[in-house]
Amino acid sequence: MGIKSFSRARAIHIMLVYTGGCNGCDIEIVNTVLSPRFDAEQYKVFLTWNPREADVLVVTGPVTHLNRKPLEAIYEAIPDPKLVVAAGSCALMGGVYKNIHGDIPSEEIEGPVENIIPVAAKVPGCAVRPQDVLAGVVSLLPTLLDAD
Amino acid sequence: MFETTVINSIIALIITVVVCFLISTLLPGIERKYVHARIQQRIGPPVTSPGIMAPIKFLFKENIEPSSPVPGLYKALPVICFFVVLSILIAITPYAFAIPALSSLVAIVGLLKVEEICYVLMGSLSKSIMSVRMPFPDRVKGAAHLNTTRSFIEDISAKRSLRMITYGSFPLYLALFAPVTAARSIFLNDIVSYQQAHGPFLFTVAGGIAAIVFFIGYMIILNEYPFSIIKAKCDVIEGPYMEYASKYRSIVFITRGFLMFTLGVLFSVLFIGIPPTVFSPTILLNIVVVLIFVLMMGIFSAFTPVFTNRQLLPTILASTLLGILAIVLGLL
Amino acid sequence: MEEKVPRSNIIETEIPLGTVHPAALEPYRVRLFVEDEIVQEAEITIGVNHRGIERIMEGLPVEKANSLTEKICGICSNSHIWNSCRTAEMGLGIEIPERALYIRVIMGELERLHSHFLYLAHGCETVAHETFSMRVFYLREIVMELLAMIGGNRVQYGCSVLGGVRPRCDLDEAKLQRLKEDMDKLEAGLTDFAQRFMADSILISRVTGVGALPAKQAIRLAVTGPSLRATGVARDLRTTMFEYDDFDFNVITQPDGDVKSNLLMRALESFESIKIIRQAIANIPEGKVVNRDWEMFDTDINESYIEVPRGTLYHSYALESGRVRHCIIRTPSMANIGAMQYACIGDHVTDAQLCIVQCDPCFTCTDRAIEIIRR
Repeated sequence: MGIKSFSRARAIHIMLVYTGGCNGCDIEIVNTVLSPRFDAEQYKVFLTWNPREADVLVVTGPVTHLNRKPLEAIYEAIPDPKLVVAAGSCALMGGVYKNIHGDIPSEEIEGPVENIIPVAAKVPGCAVRPQDVLAGVVSLLPTLLDAD
Repeated sequence: MFETTVINSIIALIITVVVCFLISTLLPGIERKYVHARIQQRIGPPVTSPGIMAPIKFLFKENIEPSSPVPGLYKALPVICFFVVLSILIAITPYAFAIPALSSLVAIVGLLKVEEICYVLMGSLSKSIMSVRMPFPDRVKGAAHLNTTRSFIEDISAKRSLRMITYGSFPLYLALFAPVTAARSIFLNDIVSYQQAHGPFLFTVAGGIAAIVFFIGYMIILNEYPFSIIKAKCDVIEGPYMEYASKYRSIVFITRGFLMFTLGVLFSVLFIGIPPTVFSPTILLNIVVVLIFVLMMGIFSAFTPVFTNRQLLPTILASTLLGILAIVLGLL
Repeated sequence: MEEKVPRSNIIETEIPLGTVHPAALEPYRVRLFVEDEIVQEAEITIGVNHRGIERIMEGLPVEKANSLTEKICGICSNSHIWNSCRTAEMGLGIEIPERALYIRVIMGELERLHSHFLYLAHGCETVAHETFSMRVFYLREIVMELLAMIGGNRVQYGCSVLGGVRPRCDLDEAKLQRLKEDMDKLEAGLTDFAQRFMADSILISRVTGVGALPAKQAIRLAVTGPSLRATGVARDLRTTMFEYDDFDFNVITQPDGDVKSNLLMRALESFESIKIIRQAIANIPEGKVVNRDWEMFDTDINESYIEVPRGTLYHSYALESGRVRHCIIRTPSMANIGAMQYACIGDHVTDAQLCIVQCDPCFTCTDRAIEIIRR
């Protein structure tokens, strides 16, 4: 293990972008990082709100119309190597908002996130459990560590 | 003979600076894990993560071009900041006492001013994605005030840094000049030798008051929590540092720990009279002083909200008055 | 209190914040019009969260539509499903077992607790007091665990169904016992927090007078819920709801309508919620939890108002062969947007987000209908 992957494994900055879900996932994820119960900092995961600092972008919500461009812009602003975790069923496949019509697609939803930016890990759940988010970020570690 | 002394001094200086630098990288981690996390009843990050591993990690990230009108200058600023802090540390080692122009309080104050002006420039040159550049149709038909000028959040931050230069850093400078009143000299050499002859300045009345003022000034110049208005998370997010990525961000991270260390050592030089040198066990005392400062700052910042101008002005005014009191007491 | 007026009408610059911002828990855009770092005017743009839920609900079977309303909001999800079921129940005249009503009240109050704790934690976080925010988040975890125990999920528990509550959410002796013990733990923790909060003179002086909203203005803006009660107007819809007939609780008010009043208001109201839950545990009647004995028929538009953690929630729809028609949902944050914009005026830019947070915004609730006015 070189110094590159060694240091990457010991400081992971995640940034959260909410794209118009129901708020449940956002609060669960902010909770994972903030609350003393789960305390993601002990696993060397830090929450940041600056795209230039982030390594992992956690996206929640089904990407509504007005959120498409901000999401793309924030993704562009993150320096490589960068990875995207789509958290929650809305981010994975549009959730109830996109799919409840049956075959008729909803006009309001641009998502899922995969349609807009490349997704590296998917965390299912409505709403995601904090443990699952941590597991999702951890499952990205090998990819992140070996990136250039 | 003269050459050997110079060469020996330079080698000793380099070793001292390297040791100080290595210790300084631990300070952000100590503050985060042993103070903040302990107070908040959680485990907290490993000590090495915020100060050492994060900067190393940033070194290996893509060097993305910052969005700034003058990218070259913007990228040069953290490097300037780092060298300013380095020069301060060199100036307060005993090896620099031979160069009176460097090892005087005027030089140190000037260098600290450079550091502060860098914040203003950083703030006004950074144009991040998080405010005006966010592609969002908010200036549309029906919206209020369509023809106003628009500011980036960093512009506000720059304005605040400018205000901090004018009045925010008074306490620190007053506290720096308090020992001068006792030693009657602005040269560190004289201040140190005066204290070695008459005992530490810290244990006089004027010194005690000045130490409190120094601590407040220390927190202001480090932008730590109650005084962190130039990088308050609730409006300007990270303020001047918004656009730094990869190695420039890692320099920003390192400079912060290094500045914490340097200011702590500066205190021990001015108030206790112990200049840092690895060839004497007194460097342990320097490190202890630095640690005490970091722990105290951590405790204060964990229990205070961010101050706006309404709280900032009285606090700074009160500490400025205390600083003047310390100087007057010292002169009497 | 005098009406607040901008210090001057000169607007020096405009600072847009958002849509992603650390002080906001959800996407919205706010444009602050600033003169010398004092906010002269604020404009909040919503619609970022618009997913068209009312449009989706149109024509769905009523059971399906009910469970969809839960996805409107991740904070007050139970309130939405409760009120949606209540709308149909009132229209169809379904009789609900007493036990189910009690369980609904328990869920509603637990949700109010977790919402108010989130508010306290988020408020402290916005003034950058990380320690207090952590302490409240720690208390909030207790409530989240209880909600997960009753509903099976931490956020969307789907408690109410037409005619009562889901049998999964029935409370047996062990669950009631745990609920009781955790309420004691919660009360102790909250008392401790409230005392520390009141004793922290730095924090109190920091939040006093920030974002003041006079009662007169609050009524004019039709503010609802705790934000109205924090201005001194004792208006709580729970006093008129038949679900709360058996319970004894006080309507808490605070005098000033500033951030301090709002924070204290939430803390004190949480004590009332604990009181209600205790009464419910003590008096919970035996019996079944769901009444499946009802018939579907077409109804005209049914309406239902309930008090949710943020204020008055309104649902209305008509039923046509078991399907939902003409659905309208009006959430409390819709009414409070005016208050948020008003509260920012005259405060420092650093406090602007705090002033918005003090009205407890939930724009995910609010962004459903967009009325396009063509001129």
